[in-house]
Amino acid sequence: MSSNSEKPTPPAAAKPAAKSPPKKPEEKPIELPAFEKGLADKIVEQFGEKVEVAFVKEDRVRINVSKENVHDVAEFIRDGLNYDHVESVSGVDYPQDKEIEVVYHIGSYTDSSLARQILVLATRSQREEDPIPGNDATKLPSLRDIFYSVEFHEREVFEMLGVYFEGHPDNRRLLLPEDWADLPPLRKDFAIKGR
Amino acid sequence: MTAELPPGLALQKVDERIMTLNVGPQHPGSGHMRIVVQIDGDYIVACDPDPGYVHRGEEKMAEYRNYILNIPHLERPVIHDSCNVLYPYVLGVEELLGIEVPERAKYVRVIASELNRCIYIMYWLAIYGIFLGHSTMFMWPAGDREFLIDLMEKMTGARVTHAHFVPGGVRNDLPPNFEDVCLRQVNYFEKRIKEYAAVFYDNPILISRTKDTGVLSRQDAIRLGTTGSVLRASGVDYDLRKKEPYDVYDELDFQVPVMKEGDSYARSRIPWLDMMESCRIIREALQKMPKSGSVRVKLKPNPKGGNDTVYKRVESGRGSLGCYIVSDGKPEPYRVKLSVPSFRNLIALPYLLKGEKLGNMPSVYWSLNYWPVEADR
Amino acid sequence: MSVIAPKFKLSEFIKSLLDNVFWVILLMVLIGIPAVMMVLFVIEMPVINGELLTPFLALTWLADPSRVLPIVQAFMTTDIFRVMAFPGFGFAALLAAGTIFVERKMLAKLQLRVGPFYCGKIEGILQLMGDGLKLISKEIIIPAKADKPIFWAAPVIFVAAAAAFVAFIPVAPGWVVADVDLGLLGVFAVIGFFPIITILSAWSANSKFPFIGGIRALFQMVSFEIPLILSLLGVVILTGTLNLSEIAASQSSFPWIIFLPIGAIVFFITMLAELERIPFDLPEAESEIVAGWLTELSGMMYGLVQLGTYLKLYAFAALFVVLFLGGWNGPMIVPPFPAEILTDGIVMGPITAKIPGLPLFTQEMLNGTLWFVLKTVGVIFFILLPRGVFPRIRIDLLLSLGWTKLIGLAFVNIFIALGLLYAGVLGPGGLQ
Repeated sequence: MSSNSEKPTPPAAAKPAAKSPPKKPEEKPIELPAFEKGLADKIVEQFGEKVEVAFVKEDRVRINVSKENVHDVAEFIRDGLNYDHVESVSGVDYPQDKEIEVVYHIGSYTDSSLARQILVLATRSQREEDPIPGNDATKLPSLRDIFYSVEFHEREVFEMLGVYFEGHPDNRRLLLPEDWADLPPLRKDFAIKGR
Repeated sequence: MTAELPPGLALQKVDERIMTLNVGPQHPGSGHMRIVVQIDGDYIVACDPDPGYVHRGEEKMAEYRNYILNIPHLERPVIHDSCNVLYPYVLGVEELLGIEVPERAKYVRVIASELNRCIYIMYWLAIYGIFLGHSTMFMWPAGDREFLIDLMEKMTGARVTHAHFVPGGVRNDLPPNFEDVCLRQVNYFEKRIKEYAAVFYDNPILISRTKDTGVLSRQDAIRLGTTGSVLRASGVDYDLRKKEPYDVYDELDFQVPVMKEGDSYARSRIPWLDMMESCRIIREALQKMPKSGSVRVKLKPNPKGGNDTVYKRVESGRGSLGCYIVSDGKPEPYRVKLSVPSFRNLIALPYLLKGEKLGNMPSVYWSLNYWPVEADR
Repeated sequence: MSVIAPKFKLSEFIKSLLDNVFWVILLMVLIGIPAVMMVLFVIEMPVINGELLTPFLALTWLADPSRVLPIVQAFMTTDIFRVMAFPGFGFAALLAAGTIFVERKMLAKLQLRVGPFYCGKIEGILQLMGDGLKLISKEIIIPAKADKPIFWAAPVIFVAAAAAFVAFIPVAPGWVVADVDLGLLGVFAVIGFFPIITILSAWSANSKFPFIGGIRALFQMVSFEIPLILSLLGVVILTGTLNLSEIAASQSSFPWIIFLPIGAIVFFITMLAELERIPFDLPEAESEIVAGWLTELSGMMYGLVQLGTYLKLYAFAALFVVLFLGGWNGPMIVPPFPAEILTDGIVMGPITAKIPGLPLFTQEMLNGTLWFVLKTVGVIFFILLPRGVFPRIRIDLLLSLGWTKLIGLAFVNIFIALGLLYAGVLGPGGLQ
């Protein structure tokens, strides 16, 4: 499962692979929960090398994908696996990798067997040292056309980490003031005063 | 004036029929946020919520403090519901550190969490009442809420900001004789909230005003990813206390109120029904709780998590509240993300207000069980 | 902080009192008495005890207290007393102030709180005075783009219109400011002023929320004036007069509410809407449009509008009493004035005080006023009560209520009145 993925995104897949899977693969054959394993297998079956299953825990499955494939994978998750809404979109800044990770926590209301499940879909975007939010290379495809509920979450990630979501209809500020001219505040190089 | 304006400040083309209203932040009907409402006559044609006036950067602050120091400030987004807003964080840290919580602590947590849910809903209900011009419904819940606040004060020592839940249990054991006092107060409280139906929920003017307004269909409620009372008012039976029971909720017997209408009346009624169920849960938990035993596992000073991520969620007074913690092996979390129900429900506001009458704005807005401070974090 | 000044000495206190007395006497002698003389020189004086009240005679009450009451009695017959004091503005303002106090305390009891409590020691009875002082002392802020003359004038005109409304109300037999034959029409005309004043104030403020509030007030008042006028026609049909005093007098044996309950209910509901009281306080709906058409008013301008509102409330309640509850009619419960005081005077030990000019008021007048006030306070209570029980209604529900249901009910009421008239039960040849 933790094999190297396709060319354009070696860092995207390699880093989480280096972080968590090295511990996981030993346990995997022993005590992986069956239902969750089945979900992960379905995705791997569909996309093969393009996705990488970071972990399979009870009620939680994490999939790492590159930003080229995140749209397709999300579409499959909605249509093929019956997930219907995104609970949370979190951006995590990794300055040492020069990447920003965006994590979608996807859940389902309609399918009662998935009620406990959260599918964690993580993707990574390039990070620039000197960000110009919206006009630099820190871009990801928006999932709003697949999961409508990401609309405000992606706006928040845009202002907080400077990740521009291409295809989002309304990429405006949400929480920050209109005249905010500093770094996106949730990046690691934005320091709180006095700390 | 003709200089180029930044994109956010660019003036829109003015239609003479459309009037733009800034509802908030200085407005008695907005809470700590701004809703830019465009009206055509009495009808709302567009609505753009603008939260962020009380953004305090809780998530950023959490990256600088260790797991224990994060407890008091992470409950600040909703101080009325401070136990529930802390709950997923505490559960997540317990999973990161691999702590097993004593049985009695689990029951104490459930009781505190349900009491806090009632406290929150009473506050919410008070504001809902005054938004609809019903001043009695503002005074009564604000007064009756004190019963439960007194209980929480006995239990935790603080009136609203309890900081009671810690990884490994709760901070203190219950005071002596707490069970009796709690039972008495909760029984009286339940009697009181039943009276609210007569003065508020069965009021014909209220019903005529809120029935069939701001209808959120089942499909849309799911598609918009709403949660909590908004979701359950639209006919989706989804409550994390049932669906993904944490602590001892799977041992307790309770119902999850669901209504099918999806209008603002149903959305305002669900929290009231929730309070009834909470009283039931508290009584049962008091009965089943082990009478003695430890309530807290000793932690090592400055505990460190592994290289791991957890996502835990609980059902708060407003809906499913998730906490995503990324740990990198240091005493401080690498990233803490609160996925708050108010923020998730906010997306329904422009959707619901479009085409509504201006007079429906307060009832629809506040029926979303929305707490601006929580949405801003 | 102590209550008594730290350097308190009784001697200094007495000295300060004497100082005050000195200055009062000095100022009165130097300014007050000449001023009174000048005023009395201009005003046309009534005839008392067969002699014209000259300034000299008017001031003899200082020397001879027995002349006080005849002078007061003569003053009471003047128009200025009627307008300013008893059936007019002063009496209405007093009742309005009482209304505000009762409203606050009653609402507080209803909501399990205490309400005004500290100001004035006894249950916060002076709270209203404190609020008034606060409003007077506050700065009046006029919006920069407001139409200033109209914006300034609107609160004043509002109070004036409310006072004009009060002028039509007969309080006791013969005690009415304007006893006109078409009194009810005059009332309708004055009611018709209020939406105009409201929209003038709202529009001239040049602000969005007042504008919406003003438009709402216009909708609400105009659409409720029609059922209001129609609901009163039943009474007019049965009494055959538009004079409010005659309408009140016609109910000596029974009030019209017995025969026209539907009209009374319709009138009561439209009254609530005209008064912008909950559940019909849409023009001031705070959670939707801040304070509606009052948003930009500040300081005493707001205070004037509040005064006008409560005057209007009293006037509407009084109109309800006059039209449906029999006005001043009621069993005679005021005891007759003791005759021996007139003949023998008041005997207090060795002193016998003969007071000419008594009785100041007739028995009928006192009794009528008592019943009128009791009934009015009862109606005001029912106007205040919905505020604790009902939420605010929505504008479309309100308009549909006014244009469909209430107008329909008002017509039903008119048909009942006509039926009673033609069946000969009431009206000329009937019970009366």
